[in-house]
Amino acid sequence: MKRILSFFRSMTFGMILLAAVMALSLAGSLIPQQEEAMKYVNAYGAQTAALLMGLGFTDIFHTWYFYALEILLCLNLLLCSILRFGRTRKAGERLKQQAIKAACDQPFADESQFQKITAYLSGQRYRKTESENAVLYSKHFMGFYGSFLVHLSILLVLLFGSLVLMTPQVTDQTVMPGETLTLSDGTTVTCESFHIQDESGKLDYASVLTAASPDGKQSKTQEIRVNEPLRFGSYKIYQQTYGTAGRIQIRNNSNGAEEIQYMTEPAFLAIDQRNGIYFEALYPGYFRDEDGNFTLITSTDRSYPDPVYRIQSITDGMSAAVLAFPGEEINIGDITFSFLSPAEYPGLRIKRVSGWLYGGLYFSFGLMVAALYLCFFAIPVAVKAAKEGYVICSPKNQEGLALALEAEKSQAGKNP
Amino acid sequence: MEICFFAALIVYFAASVLQFIGSALKKDGLNKIARVAFGLGFLLHTGYTVWRGFTAGRLPLANQFEFASGFAWAIAALGFFLYWKLRQEWVMTAAMPMAFLILSYAAFQPMQIKDIMPALRSTWFALHIGSAAFSYAAFAISAGLGVVYLVQLKKGKSADDPRMKQMDYLGYRIVCLGFLLLTVVIFSGAIWAEQAWSSWWSWDPKETWALITWIFYAIYLHQRLRLKWQGRRMAWLAVIAFVLVIFTFAGVNLLLPGLHSYAGL
Repeated sequence: MKRILSFFRSMTFGMILLAAVMALSLAGSLIPQQEEAMKYVNAYGAQTAALLMGLGFTDIFHTWYFYALEILLCLNLLLCSILRFGRTRKAGERLKQQAIKAACDQPFADESQFQKITAYLSGQRYRKTESENAVLYSKHFMGFYGSFLVHLSILLVLLFGSLVLMTPQVTDQTVMPGETLTLSDGTTVTCESFHIQDESGKLDYASVLTAASPDGKQSKTQEIRVNEPLRFGSYKIYQQTYGTAGRIQIRNNSNGAEEIQYMTEPAFLAIDQRNGIYFEALYPGYFRDEDGNFTLITSTDRSYPDPVYRIQSITDGMSAAVLAFPGEEINIGDITFSFLSPAEYPGLRIKRVSGWLYGGLYFSFGLMVAALYLCFFAIPVAVKAAKEGYVICSPKNQEGLALALEAEKSQAGKNP
Repeated sequence: MEICFFAALIVYFAASVLQFIGSALKKDGLNKIARVAFGLGFLLHTGYTVWRGFTAGRLPLANQFEFASGFAWAIAALGFFLYWKLRQEWVMTAAMPMAFLILSYAAFQPMQIKDIMPALRSTWFALHIGSAAFSYAAFAISAGLGVVYLVQLKKGKSADDPRMKQMDYLGYRIVCLGFLLLTVVIFSGAIWAEQAWSSWWSWDPKETWALITWIFYAIYLHQRLRLKWQGRRMAWLAVIAFVLVIFTFAGVNLLLPGLHSYAGL
């Protein structure tokens, strides 16, 4: 049992796991992930595609063996964190004792060198401890915890990171300006407005949303865009996508009834199922040549400069292709179809999150950066200075300090 | 002002050649001229970068050209800082050609100043991209030191030579700095991604390759700290790791489209 435990907490095991994660990540980045089966068949051939899919290489980051690697890595980090904590707890005291017992290997020629060195160490904010016949200067003892904290923080990042990725409830929803969504707990989200470009014409993709609690007592209005989601209670609402919908007003002239339809997909608009229009698509713009022929522009990432509707006009089962422009009307039987200016609308991502999980993840990020700093740049050191000389004790290379003290020593007497 | 950029590129090249000849022939005078030339190139490069930033009205790190230029600038800045601290010629021998090579890559990218795209308008932009430039610069110098170390070994210098030991040690220390900064890059990117795309990690190719690079350097550090690897093996590891850095920086944008595709624009 002891040998198994020792293997699971060993660096060798940790390195094997890291190498395996690296290799699988490499495969996952080179093989397109979560695509349709036919894409793999077309790209690799039927046999290879079947093999890749069978091994889970087409969704490698969600396979059981990738999760197993993560769990084993967590186990390795946990065990080695425990081991390190035990080792580092008394390391500071051990280093001090080691320095006190050490013989001074850098001799002083006279008293002035001792004064110079001790003044330098005090100036560098070393902690001073008087002991018998010697003075002990120590610094960066927090550095002993660096390695332990690095491993602990990686473990926390993995744990909180996995929970944050797995737990939120996410829904994607398109909403037209003026429309209100009601979420599962009764919270409402109203899209007040949306624009693709700002006043100066720059791409902006911003929605003004109002979120309100189920009882209506709390509400919040905010303009959201990429990088600026709306936070309301446990919800986070993101500006995720956008689109431009055709707007067609349908008026029944026999009874005066009117309604406006938002058109994002092909659809047949009619009252009697025989006469009406079949909406095919809305295009952002068009070119018209000298002969009056139209060439339609199929896409743009901006507002539609010259929108045009492509429809089929259907009368008694007979259809005719028509291009309609905003402001135009078509009468079919008793129905008038008015083509209005298109509406730009947002696609929202609504995520329900746990604040404390995110807090834990961001705390782990901060801890890890601080721990790496401690590990690499706060190297514990103790310097024993006695009348006969000094000695530097540290678990790591202290070449910089050795050179600095050497320089100070050689300066003694020259610059009183 | 583009003339400043190309002048900096030419001066970096001249400095690299002079430094190489000076080091090979052990002519301190040539090395000194190379340093002055590199300093002049650095000033021109800085001037161009500042001009571009003011003209664009933002940090000039928003596309492949700007990032490559910033990356080369960070190599030069870090090279000068290390030289100022250590006064060792081999620091410059490692930094100069690296700065030149990365700036040459930038020269092949589209240079026109464009509006920053909405996804990049974030307070995290400066921290994420700025730390990436300096992280990559640290890895570049470490790889450069690795090459210089291996060349010196090939020329018959002993691994026990104090200068070789110092070179080896600096190579490792600079990886420590790069690793810390790469961690900041990944974490700031994760927080930013959560704000922009709603998920802190999406296994996007850029993210995945940043993780691969991070793991490789983690292995490098473990080999050094725990297994006490030194010298030739660490020099090779530093060079191989930098290939991963270059792929993460340029290769992913060219070959593996994803959420970071705008980085190649």
